[in-house]
Amino acid sequence: MRRFNRHWWGLIFVLPVVIYFAVFSIFPVLFGFALSLTDYDLLDPPNWVGLDNFQALLSDRLFLTALGNTLVFVAGATVPVWLASLLAALLFDQAFRSRNVLKTLFFLPVLPPVVVVAVVWRMLLHPNGVMTWLAGSWRGVTEIDWLSNTVLAPLSMIAVHDWAAIPFFMLIWLAGIAGIPPELRDAAHIDGATPLRTFWHIDLPLLRSTAVLVAALSTINAFQTFTLQYVLSPDPGGPANSTLVLGLLVLKYGFQYFRMGDAAAISVVMFAMILTVTAAQLWFNRRAG
Amino acid sequence: MNVRNCCRVILAGAAILWGLAANAQQVTIKMWMHEHPPRIAIDKAIVSAFEQANPDIKVDYAVLAVSEFTTKLLTAFASGSGPDLFNQSVVQVAQYYNSRVLAPIDYAAMGFADEQALTGNYLTGFDGIRFAGKLYGVPTEVSNYACYLNNTIWKAAGLDPSRDFPKTWEEMPALAEKLTLRDPNGVPRRRGFDFDWPSLPAYWLTLNTMMRQRGANLFDEANYKATFEGPEAEHVLQYLVDWVNKYKLGGPQYTDTRTDFLAGNLATDCSFGIWGIPQMHDAKIDYTVKPLPHFADGKHDNGYDAYAYYMMVNARSSPAVQKAAWKLARFYTDHAVELFTGAGLFVPRQDVLQKTGDPDSQVFLTELKKAAFAPRVVGYNQIVDILARGRDAMMQGGQPIATVLPQMNDDMNAVLKREKARAEAMLK
Repeated sequence: MRRFNRHWWGLIFVLPVVIYFAVFSIFPVLFGFALSLTDYDLLDPPNWVGLDNFQALLSDRLFLTALGNTLVFVAGATVPVWLASLLAALLFDQAFRSRNVLKTLFFLPVLPPVVVVAVVWRMLLHPNGVMTWLAGSWRGVTEIDWLSNTVLAPLSMIAVHDWAAIPFFMLIWLAGIAGIPPELRDAAHIDGATPLRTFWHIDLPLLRSTAVLVAALSTINAFQTFTLQYVLSPDPGGPANSTLVLGLLVLKYGFQYFRMGDAAAISVVMFAMILTVTAAQLWFNRRAG
Repeated sequence: MNVRNCCRVILAGAAILWGLAANAQQVTIKMWMHEHPPRIAIDKAIVSAFEQANPDIKVDYAVLAVSEFTTKLLTAFASGSGPDLFNQSVVQVAQYYNSRVLAPIDYAAMGFADEQALTGNYLTGFDGIRFAGKLYGVPTEVSNYACYLNNTIWKAAGLDPSRDFPKTWEEMPALAEKLTLRDPNGVPRRRGFDFDWPSLPAYWLTLNTMMRQRGANLFDEANYKATFEGPEAEHVLQYLVDWVNKYKLGGPQYTDTRTDFLAGNLATDCSFGIWGIPQMHDAKIDYTVKPLPHFADGKHDNGYDAYAYYMMVNARSSPAVQKAAWKLARFYTDHAVELFTGAGLFVPRQDVLQKTGDPDSQVFLTELKKAAFAPRVVGYNQIVDILARGRDAMMQGGQPIATVLPQMNDDMNAVLKREKARAEAMLK
């Protein structure tokens, strides 16, 4: 009887969270998937179209552009971030004067919300703004279209993203480095290993699970990018769709073009992509382990 | 129970029944307007007067932010909670018509004998809301752009605003250059004239206006077809690309022209309507109004396309509510003079026209008589986005017109084909 009661009490305690997730997470996901199989446009009742929306995406120029831009952004917002944040972590793992003050200053970009970061950088990247002055004044350039040039705009987005992301991932690396037993490094040092060999043969293998965490989080984060492209650019997605990413395309299709079925189909594709990449990273970690 | 008490019970019962009957007969109209601060107080006064004159009709008046208006309207229609009476721009009406949201005008409910009795009072304004020969709304604002010249800047550049404004687009770059102030690197610090690139509706109007001037059109509305192709389209785009990349007189990367003009940072702007006149006075700008230039070898000398806002009735509302809504639409639009003088909303009705005798207003009216209405296509938001992305590709991405133009036209046709299929499916 006691076991029975404990069982029910447990269920009762868990139930609010289960209901919360069912209503606000599971139902929207399922509803989104169902919506992706219709041609719902807000004005008319939805019609069942099967997989037509997904098939149409294969030849949808806007989707293909957004997919390409997203992959470029993911590439720019992951690999450089992994390397730079690891380097920063290794640097701040060393003992030097004012280390904590510098570490705090380096971490500051993580604190404000992305929207604030984007608004501040939008001012800094004004064609005649501070960044132009820094980058162009020495060669007499007074105007650089950081955000309205089709080549510079996507690079600017990546740069701003990485500026804010590197300190965050540095902290994760630092936590991983702190977990490495110092005796192993000491032993390597006694055996005459150089710092590089110590890093390669001792630190890096022991940081594998941290690396997977950094890789998974940064990849998911990069795939879901939206705020930067929406707020930083004077013309969200522009110029000429050069900063149009999948997250932004969902908004465009849904609430600008009122093509809810297509918007939902893109969301499903995004979900599948993120799931695949994350699963692959976890599988790789397990296999390597 | 004595006779007196019996009478009291009967009277009370009758009163309750009468009250219930009256309540049952009262109609409530849900009315949605977009935010235009100078108009709101006038709206409320009109609604209040209407309710007093029609005790059986209650008006549930709501003002929605401009940035959210279109989306909220659609989501409300989708959930079946859309307004009975609403005001919306001409560029959005095609999709409502396509989805059978619009009720045709009920002339009897408005107190008119027929269409002529309504439209005869207007100079123009109904072409934007006529579908298959029927009218679906009443204009609450009809507008067209003309060019405002900042006299102070013009005179400082040694130019006479009343005489030196060019008649053709071909003369415009040289004139704009005279009015442009550049830094040592040649970057404009004050533009002489520029198109209002950041505003998509303004870009939409500019493209179609220029196409019409050359004897072509952006769209074949009736057949859901984009016709932005051929030498006329190439000519228009070449002019605009040269403006940005060859003459470097402005471009999409600059602030919107209205803001710059009112701040005194732009010498000439052609993106204000007649409603701009009070704004010029508020900004203390000494100005001159001129008609839009046209192409030297163009086929028409039309100015900017006209655009309008219409008061429309939801076809999904009950017949009684629709009748009441049309009655309110009539009552509302009969206050056109107040809306013009108090909120700057111009409608070319005879009573309003009597208030526009000044030479500046006459420029707008002369242009309006020659103007065609902005194209009405389903999927406007997506189509104008395609045009803007194409603009960026040419002007900021340096892609050739020969590549971008057919791509834009194909993309627009893909949208229109899809919408046509939906419209046909709805009819079936």
